[in-house]
Amino acid sequence: MATAPAEAEVKATVVRYLASKNVPPTQAWLRDFMPSIRLNTPMVALQKTALFRILSTDLTVAVQPPSPNALFPANVASPEVKDRKLNGQITVQVLDIEDIGHSCWSQVENLEAIERGEMTKGREVIRVVDDELNTDQNRTPANNPSISSGPHKLLIQDAKGTKAFAFESEFVTGIGVSQLSIGGKLVLNDALVARGVIMLDRRAVEVLGGKVEAWDKKWRADRKESLKRKAGVTDGAGGGT
Amino acid sequence: MVTKVLCVAEKPSIAKAVANHLAGGQVTVRNVTGNQYLKNYCFHYNFPTWGPCDVNMTSVFGHLQSHDFADQYRYWKSCDPSQLFEARIETSVDESNKPVAKNIETQARYSSILYIWTDCDREGEHIGAEIRDVAVRSNPRLGERGKTVRARFSNIERAHIINAARSPVPLDEAQANAVSSRIELDLRTGASFTRNLTMSLQGMLPQQGDGQKSQVISYGSCQFPTLGFVVERYFRVRNFVPEQFWSIKVMHEKNGIKVNFRWARNHLFDRMVVVVLFERCLAAKKAKVDKVQTKPTSKWKPLPLTTVELQKCGSRFLRMDSHRVMQVAESLYTKGWISYPRTETDQFDRGMNLQALVQKQTQSRTWGQFAQGLMNGGFAQPRDGRNNDKAHPPIHPVNFVEQTALSAEEAKVYEFVARRFLACCSQDAKGSKTEIGISYGPETFNASGLTVLERNYLDVYPYDRWTSSQELPQFRAGEEFEPTEARIQDGKTSPPGYLTEPELIALMDANGIGTDATMAEHINKIKERKYVDTRPRGRRPRQDDNDDEASDYEAPAEHEAEPARGRGRGRGRGRGAAGRGSAAANGRNSGTSGVQEFIPTTLGVALIEGYDNMGFEISLAKPFLRKEMELKMKAICEGRKTRHEVTQETIEQYREVYMRTQQRMQVLKDSVRRYVTNQA
Repeated sequence: MATAPAEAEVKATVVRYLASKNVPPTQAWLRDFMPSIRLNTPMVALQKTALFRILSTDLTVAVQPPSPNALFPANVASPEVKDRKLNGQITVQVLDIEDIGHSCWSQVENLEAIERGEMTKGREVIRVVDDELNTDQNRTPANNPSISSGPHKLLIQDAKGTKAFAFESEFVTGIGVSQLSIGGKLVLNDALVARGVIMLDRRAVEVLGGKVEAWDKKWRADRKESLKRKAGVTDGAGGGT
Repeated sequence: MVTKVLCVAEKPSIAKAVANHLAGGQVTVRNVTGNQYLKNYCFHYNFPTWGPCDVNMTSVFGHLQSHDFADQYRYWKSCDPSQLFEARIETSVDESNKPVAKNIETQARYSSILYIWTDCDREGEHIGAEIRDVAVRSNPRLGERGKTVRARFSNIERAHIINAARSPVPLDEAQANAVSSRIELDLRTGASFTRNLTMSLQGMLPQQGDGQKSQVISYGSCQFPTLGFVVERYFRVRNFVPEQFWSIKVMHEKNGIKVNFRWARNHLFDRMVVVVLFERCLAAKKAKVDKVQTKPTSKWKPLPLTTVELQKCGSRFLRMDSHRVMQVAESLYTKGWISYPRTETDQFDRGMNLQALVQKQTQSRTWGQFAQGLMNGGFAQPRDGRNNDKAHPPIHPVNFVEQTALSAEEAKVYEFVARRFLACCSQDAKGSKTEIGISYGPETFNASGLTVLERNYLDVYPYDRWTSSQELPQFRAGEEFEPTEARIQDGKTSPPGYLTEPELIALMDANGIGTDATMAEHINKIKERKYVDTRPRGRRPRQDDNDDEASDYEAPAEHEAEPARGRGRGRGRGRGAAGRGSAAANGRNSGTSGVQEFIPTTLGVALIEGYDNMGFEISLAKPFLRKEMELKMKAICEGRKTRHEVTQETIEQYREVYMRTQQRMQVLKDSVRRYVTNQA
């Protein structure tokens, strides 16, 4: 009969695994995590559980950067610096994401159409009709309005809480208003910063995913109002439907 | 003994035309007492099926029978409106139709064959069944198999009619049943909701002037979703919030030509990001040509003409509303100039002799030469669209007629149908497109140039535009240059326009509201009911550079608006009443257009908002219920469902909505108070 591995051994394996994913845990996080697991669970399942849990936790509490290089320089967001490279890998979490390829108001309209149930199967209302008269063969079909096509601007934060804006400079799978959650984790890789804005291209970012449930829920609940504010809607105007 | 055949057409003009084609001039015309427009055309004809026959050709005036609730339910206050979902419906012949029915009964008595010549669509099939019901009352043998037949035809051209006369087919009971079901549902849902709405809201509305009766607030299962589209757009326009955006413009002058490059990102709504990217472009100093590609391109010729397309084009290019266009087209069909104008089909049958039809158009002084060009080798088979209703071909000219022989409106519609047909039989326009892609720092920019090489169909179809752009100078891939100018430009999003008629038709079509044949009627209904007003779309300011316009909204095709145009008159499908061309100003079709836009009245807004605010799963202001009903009609036609099943199912759905409406009537009243009586 196989005996359950010693707790220290399990802990070491979990830490090694998380470190390999660029989310080395803090002692505090481990203190919470270890009592919640059964030591005889297969290691692969334990690793998956650990990764899932740490991605769902606030990065500033859960992740212990292995070296100062895995953090933003203090003045990362400074517009004074024309450009610089952030060497190595830096794990960050997403605090905000917006589609800057589309006006805020058009996004409000899409949200309202979804609220009215127009995207539900069987209840669709077709609002955009491709007109035969104006169609030439070079036109591309309209996108699904519930998926943001970007490009996106993100507010991200490293493990010590330093914040910076990031711009999706080329299409990156996994970055999108509905695909990426608030509190979701990204790993930057030799990323470039221009005037304090981090450029995200496919080479410079890996999407780990995850979310901090409470943050994400609040963000989604407030999204329409915050888009309206950004569009410049003052009280009483707009959004009467 | 010579066989007697009774032929019945849907309207007098068709009876007359068909009789003359079959009889070859040897026709005796007899009047019918009680209706001065009704005639019996008597002649001899040798049908291959029955040999030499005595033929009596007459007509009805559209639907023969009417349907209404039994007496105890007929008066507004006689019952609770919800009882109308199951109240007994009586079928009768209206006073005005009594002489018509009597004529059929009398003639049927001596006939051994009843030959139906109603229009070949669902309504026509149902009218055929009504005619048979009346005929069988006096001559039960006509109810036997093979004794009642119908003609299949899609235009009133002589050879086509003679061919149809020789190949009778049975009446399509399924289609007639679908219409019966639709009539019953429209009556029950229309009457119950209309009575309920009117009785609940009437007292709140301002009395109309001159002591007139207070307004009826009618409900129709197509009208409401149609109105819903208008109201939805109205609010989008009203609520719109303009936003600023920024773009990077790059211009390079080469060989004396200024080339504007478009930013691949078009524009962004974040100034900081644009400024950062722009700085990185400037820092790169030089732009590099990544791609130079010249390839053939073409502008496709239009698809064969369907009813929906005709209606959209009518509003857009002919300055006629859809209702009017259909009346005029109906009249051109009745006179034998164009094919049946109610069709969903956008593909020509391979067996059709299209060149013979093109040949007829060579007589025209305006487009005859183009038609001749097609005859001399320019002909190409039309494109196939995706729809085929298996009943009628696309709308096309069947005979040539001089413009001067037609009224102004008829001439415009005929010209459009003829030009569209010739365009379909022509070649796509051909051109060559050059695309130049450059990278400038981290960003990419593009320029493109079009050279039209062969206009082809465009020569006969001025409604489409495709023109060469400025010529581009030579660029080589790998070439580097310092752009002459690079700058950030800002702009603002602009609101969409109010809904135009072509847009509304397209939305109804896409959402399954009404059939191609009835859409114009529903649009007309919401105008009649004063739920919407129309006005010509005003000129909208255009910016010099298209790139500056917001891409958030599909810009409508029209560029400028014209003053008001003739309004359609009359009701229903225009059956029996051929459209009369009124003398409207007849402008040349230049491709520019004037188009009407719809603005809901306060009552229209109140109704839609009220229903939407009730918060039901299924809103009457939305297309789902009606769309489902249209699909069920199709199911009856295809034999997948019975009339009874469909009627029951649909009644239950509407009854449920009715009950919930009743419970939440206060919401609707609040909405009327808010928008109409301003007592919010």
